Order: sequence, then structure tokens, then C-alpha cells
Amino acid sequence: MKRMFGIIVFFILSALVLRCCIRADVPEVTNVKTVTPDINNISYPDDNKNVTLNGVDYIQTQAPVGKFGGELVLSTIGEGPKTFNPCNTKDATSSAMASILYEGLLTTDAKTGKVIPQLAKSYYIDGNDYIITLRKGIKWSDGKPITADDVLYTYEEIVFKGLGNPSITDAMTVDGKLPTLTKVDDYTVKFTTSKPFAPFLRQLSYPVVPKHYFKPYSDKGASEFNAFLNTNTKPETIVSNGPFKLKEYVAAQRVVFERNPNYYKINLNNQQLPYLDKIVYLIVGDTNNGILKFEAKELDVISLNGNTVARYKEREDKSDYTIYNLGASTGTLFVAINLNNRKDKNGHYYVNPVKQKWFRDKNFRKAVERAVDRKNMIQNIAFGVAEPLYTAESPNSIYLNKNIKGYDVDTDKAKKLLENSGFVYKNNKLYDKQGNFVEFDLYTNAGNLEREALGVMVKQDLEELGMKVNFKPIEFNSLVNKLTNTFDWDMVIMGLTGSPLEPHDGKNVWTSKGTLHLFNQGVPKNECFEWEKELDELFEAGALKIDFADRKPVYDRYQEIIYEQNPVIYLYSPAQIYAIRKKFKNVFPSALNGLIYNLDELYIEK
Amino acid sequence: MGLLRFTAKRILQVIPLLIIVSMISFFIIRLAPIDPLAELRINPSISEETLQKEVKRLKLDKPIAVQYLYWAKSFVQLDLGYTSDGEKVSVKLKERIPNTLLLTLVVIFMTWITGIPLGILAAVKKETALDRLLTVFSSIGMAIPSFFFAILMLMFAVKTGWFPAGGLTSYNYNDMNFIGKICDISRHLVLPVIVLFTISLSGLQRQMRANMLEVLDSDYIKFARAKGLSEWKVIFKHALRNAVNPLITLLGFEFAGLLSGAALTEYVFQYPGLGRLILEAVMKSDINLVMASLMMGTIMLVAGNLIADILLLLTDPRTRKSQEAK
Repeated sequence: MKRMFGIIVFFILSALVLRCCIRADVPEVTNVKTVTPDINNISYPDDNKNVTLNGVDYIQTQAPVGKFGGELVLSTIGEGPKTFNPCNTKDATSSAMASILYEGLLTTDAKTGKVIPQLAKSYYIDGNDYIITLRKGIKWSDGKPITADDVLYTYEEIVFKGLGNPSITDAMTVDGKLPTLTKVDDYTVKFTTSKPFAPFLRQLSYPVVPKHYFKPYSDKGASEFNAFLNTNTKPETIVSNGPFKLKEYVAAQRVVFERNPNYYKINLNNQQLPYLDKIVYLIVGDTNNGILKFEAKELDVISLNGNTVARYKEREDKSDYTIYNLGASTGTLFVAINLNNRKDKNGHYYVNPVKQKWFRDKNFRKAVERAVDRKNMIQNIAFGVAEPLYTAESPNSIYLNKNIKGYDVDTDKAKKLLENSGFVYKNNKLYDKQGNFVEFDLYTNAGNLEREALGVMVKQDLEELGMKVNFKPIEFNSLVNKLTNTFDWDMVIMGLTGSPLEPHDGKNVWTSKGTLHLFNQGVPKNECFEWEKELDELFEAGALKIDFADRKPVYDRYQEIIYEQNPVIYLYSPAQIYAIRKKFKNVFPSALNGLIYNLDELYIEK
Repeated sequence: MGLLRFTAKRILQVIPLLIIVSMISFFIIRLAPIDPLAELRINPSISEETLQKEVKRLKLDKPIAVQYLYWAKSFVQLDLGYTSDGEKVSVKLKERIPNTLLLTLVVIFMTWITGIPLGILAAVKKETALDRLLTVFSSIGMAIPSFFFAILMLMFAVKTGWFPAGGLTSYNYNDMNFIGKICDISRHLVLPVIVLFTISLSGLQRQMRANMLEVLDSDYIKFARAKGLSEWKVIFKHALRNAVNPLITLLGFEFAGLLSGAALTEYVFQYPGLGRLILEAVMKSDINLVMASLMMGTIMLVAGNLIADILLLLTDPRTRKSQEAK
């Protein structure tokens, strides 16, 4: 009897505890409109100026003068950097670390996206010639001067030879030819491309490295060079030119940077930047741990996603952080349709010929596009913090075609489109002309909750049209194998990251020869759709034009084609939202460069 | 002499075992449809040439059997190869092993110095309130999943702010003095140690209690009591010696778990140990790293058993007899 009583009490207690938990877990319904992009109100400082003091060409920031000292603790998700060699980075974390250590000739203006000088004092373009003037008197972190020889070395012996990560070499190659580089004088260099090539200029943001430090290793060949500056390098031996130099790397725990006293940027009082003494990157395994660390005040900045942002926004007023919504990110989520109509080596079709007829029918694709409910997805999956997307350029791209407004979901219109192509309805089920029931597979990578949720919603939307969609989340690697190797898929939900500044980076996806031409991978030129041929031509033409105003119409047209033909149906771009402690000043978030691209200007208000 | 021969024989037996384990694991990993280059393939800025170079470097263009032979050849030469990111496997392991050892050794030490006395106590005070209380605690310890307990502990750390939310050292660790460093590491170790300790303590305590009860029930103990020996002597001089034998086997398994036993907890606490490294490696099908860790696990397990057997030979005359009879 006593025992029974105990058990009952136990159950009641646990029920009470659980009830509390459940209550706390249900997200409060907040007005998501409160987190619409707020970076339009940011007043950016004026453009940097060049100031010469005692024969040194400094770059002078026009941002308010701050106080020196203190540190900023950031996080990086995953296993941490693989290398500190800026020429050999293959993953985002290594690139981020290397970009603190090494700066290039040019960089991107956070506000306008224009190309502005950084290590270079100035540049001008004369036809196919790019003439770069260097700063006089600036130094590497070990005190040796930065000269034209370092620039020549970087490009001629690393980039043009394809050492390290060769993607930069590919990006600089125009019609199979690399540009030439000549030294005009000790502080002037000239690049010459074989023909006009617009994406070239932005490639000059490639990090410039010290010849005296790198040359012994680059002379020994690719494998030695790839191992150079690995994570076991003694930090004090690294020679760099960025605002911070490496202080310490502890595997799987943290990377610490300290200020570079030789940095060439000064503030309005002509004091050398950066303000902060240290930048600390904690290496955290996953985003959840990052959030815990932010709440435990071990981190100063955190990237928020849809389901955490409401909670953070609610507490913002009483807290010590500010939330910035930088607007849509460069990430895009989409449904791609397989238009492949070829056979494999054994004579089997990659895609069932019955399905080929549907997928290669423009009306069918358009119907799918009109049936997906983007707004509903954004409300329910992205918690309202995302922007609908109708074409390949992300909403923050300077090349976004603003004329493509997109339509709301319209199932009736979609049904009409299908009927125009001879599809018929029997008992609310969709059959094609030959009487085949419309049923196909939709894949995505398992484990990505956002894409899995999207899959369910796309499936529901398409079932409204009478289609039967078998939604199959599969392991990421198997999915990639399907997309790039075996081509045996019907539809897929994926995401890619593009460049908001250079649409030409999308050439691997959109040109018929591209390595990631997902929707019609490996199509021979003579079997291309007309619009695929036009895309090929547009990408070629766009690269040859240098002026933004000349290029814009070309890339507008490419986006139009995509929205017209819908080989890929874009869904939305999630917003980038960050919280940063209020004590940090000179924070000028930018849709293009992120929250804290200006580590050298940040300071702590005490 | 007998001991030496026994050891040599056991070590020789390990070789076929290693070959079989390595073959099975290599083929399982390679036959799984995981492509170590998947991330690169889906990256729009990676060119076809780069991909081909990577395929060559990782020898993915060769048949699996050939890949295995390449691996086996370098393994025999004690060369663990490179990870798929081009870092040396041995260096990566060396970075992490001390951290994992620190955690597991602390846990094992604490478990054994508390688990055994508690087990004895529970057996001696069988079916008293104290025994029941210990039973409740050890049941909870055995029932609670380690990752869940770890998450609870992390929440506790974040809410109270008494302990850091994971990791092993604070970011300003290198600026601390010696005592500061010790305090910092201890503060970071408290929570993972509590989790692992609670879980392994229960098992050990239950095991000790059961062994002890069995021995206490035997005839010679009854005889010893009847002879009028003090209870203290009966327990520590006669019962304990026999009850501890199965625990030596257990110690062998603990040895095997030194490097691999705490993977889940390590992951939750973001502890910079082997667990996190290997989990990531498995996900990416980073074959050299996974194989190195599997081989290490196998060797540790075999070595642990060997050590336990040798210890048993030394402590228990009965096993020595049967060995000699062979």
C-alpha cells in the first residue's frame, strides 16, 4: 500500500515537472515582423582615406575614434582550421582565419560592394591593364617592408603555378590563358589579361604573402607547400600583414590572435589600429553548444537562426546584447528538377522516359513553381526570418533582377498549366497523356532539419496538384553521389551559396559544361535546350564586359530565363541574424560582408 | 618462464585478430556509399581538375582491395598516413590522446576508490536502508543515458554560471600562472567527470556487491565466522580476496575503454578528446583516421585483456595451476 502511494506521488511529481518543461519549451508567438532587416538605418562611416605620415602610406578609417584594449571572443563551428596557409584554404573556417592574418591588394566595400584598395594604395583600369600602386613604407609583422616583389612572388610563383588551392588559378584563367604581371617600379605593378574579363578585378583580393617567408617552401613543390603553415606551426614564426597575428592555436579548443603592431591602418587621431588586443575564436562542435556558450557569456557574438531569434529578441531590451538582422544571406534553398534524357553506359536511361516527358515539359515545371507556397514555408520553417526567392541571385546580390517579382502560390493556375500540356485529372489524381499516374521521388539530405521540413511542405503542395511525391531524405554523401555521378534522381531539395558580388561564380551551375550543372549534368552541346544555349552565351558575354552597367542587363536576362524555364525552383533565402554584446562599438553590419568584417575598427566602450 | 611464454603466445594471437578486424572495418567503411569528397563536389567553385587531383591523392580511383593493401603496408611500417584534409593522422591523435587520458584516468581512479568500498558496504549491510539507498542511486546511474545526463549538466552550468559550458581550458589559459592553470582545468573537468563517474560507478558498485554476496555466502566464510574470527578479518582477509577476482577482468575492460570510452560525453561537453575527432572522421569517411582509431581500440582491448589475465595469474593461484597444467 505504502509502495503504491509512493509510485503515485512519483508520477504526479514527474507529471508536474514535465508540464513545466513543456510550457517553457513552447515558443512564444511573437510578431516576427520585428526582425525585418534593420541594416538600412546603419550610418556607415565615410570612405577610408590615404594618409602619408613620415613617409608611410597609411589607410585612415573615418570611423569614430575608440579606446584601445580588450578582446573579442568569437566562435567557429566544427573542427577548427586545417591550415593557416592563406593560399591553401579549402574550408570556410581556415579561410576565415587566414583572412585575419593576410590581406590582399583590393577588397570589397561593405556598404556598396564596390572594389576598393586595401594593401594597394590605389588602382586604375586601362582596357585590359590593371595598374596597382602599392603603399610605401608599410611592413610585415616581422618588420620587413611589403614591396612589389612580394606581390609578384604571390601571383607568379603561387597563383599562376597553381600551388595550394587551385580554384583561384581557375578563376583567373581567361580562355585558357593566365594574365601577365609586370613590375613597373618598386611600388607599381601591372596585370594584363588577354581579353576583357570582368570577374578578374575581384580576384585581386587574393592574399599577398611575404616572399622571404614563403619562398623556401614554395620552391620545394606542391606537397611541401601544402604542409607549410599547418596548424602545428609555431605561431610566433608566422609572418603576416593582417590586423592581427596568430598568438596561439590549441587543437579543438581555440585560436587566439593578437594585434599586429605593424598594421597599416590608422584612426582619425593617426593612432595605429587595431583597437582590440586579442581576437579569440573558440572552436565549438555544433551550433547548440555555441548558443550555450553565448548564454554563459563565454562568447561575444552568436549567429541566430529562426527558432532562437524570437526568444533572443524578446529579451534584448533587458540584456547586454544587440540583435542585427543583416537581411537575406547568400544561401539559397531550391528544388531542382532532373532534365536528363540520356542513357548510361549500359544503355539504361538515367531518368525513366515516362518521367522525362514530364520534367522536360516547361508547363509541368511552371506548374510546380506556381504550386509551392513560399510564404507558408517562410512562416513555418524559417520562423518568418527569410526572404522569398524566385531566381538564382540571392536577395543581397548587387546583380539581383528586381523586376522578377514572382507570384504567390496559385494552385488553380498550376492545374491549368498542366491541363494545357495534356495532363488529365481522374478522381483528383494527375495522369499524363499516355495515362501514366504522375508519381516521382523527391530527395534531400537527411539530418538537415530545414530541408526535411521543406520536403514535407513541397510534397504537400504538389499533392494538391494530384501528384504523388515520395519524399526520401537520404545521407548527404549518397545524395551528392546521385547528383554528380549516377544521375538517378527526379527532384531534389538542396541549397547552394553564391556570391552576392560576382554572378560569374555561378558558371559551374548554369553553363552546360559546368561541374555542378545539376539539372542537366553532362549535357552535350547539341542536345542542350535553346535556353541552356542562351545561358552559355550570357555567361560568356557577361564575363567580357567590365562595366557594372553593361553587365547588369546580361545577368538580368539570365535570371529571367531561370524564372521562365524553372529547371531550378528557388524557395527562399534565410536571413542572417547576429547578436553581439552592447559594449562593442564601431559595429557597422553589412548585408555583403557580415556583422564584423572590420575587426580592426571594433573597440570596447568601458 | 610460464608467464613469459603465455604472454608471447597471447601477443602472437593478436596478429590474425588485427588483420581480420582491419579488413572487416576497412571494407565496411569503403563499401558504405559515403564519398569523402562529397563536400567538394557540391561546391560550385571547385573545378573538375581539383576533384581529380583529390581522387588521386586519396587513391579513390583504385579498387578497394588495392586501397586496403596500401593502407596495410603503411600501417605495418607504423605510418598511419594522412587525413583527408592532408594532416598527419599520428599528429592529430597525439594532440587528443593526452586530453582523453586525463579525463578517463581521473574517472577510473575515482570510480575504483569509491566503487569498491561502496560495493563491500552494500554487501555487508545487505538489505538495510543503506543498501537500498545505494541500490536506488546505482539504478539511476545505470538507467540514465550518458548523453542526456551530460546535457542536463551543461544546462546546469549555463543557468548557474558556476561551471564553464564545455571545453577543457579557458581562452586566457596561457596567461595564467601554474596554480591558475590547474584550477582552470579542474573547473572544466568537474562536469564531464561527474557524468562519467556516476555512470561507471553504478556498474562497478553493483558488481562488487554481487561478488561479495556470493563469497559471503560460501561455506568457508561460514566456517571462518564459526571459528570466531572478527567480522573485519572475515571480510577483508578472506572474502575480499576472492570477491575481487572478477573485478580484475573488469579492470582489463576499463583499460580498453581508456581511449574510447567517453566519446558521447566528450561530444556533448565539446571536450577536445579523441571522441569528437573520431566521430567527425566517421561522418566524413576519413579512412586513415577511422582505421587508426579502430586499430588503436582493438589493440587496447587485447592489451587490456592480457593485462587482466596476467594480473589474475599473479593474484589467483588457481588460474596459475590450470595454466601450468596446460
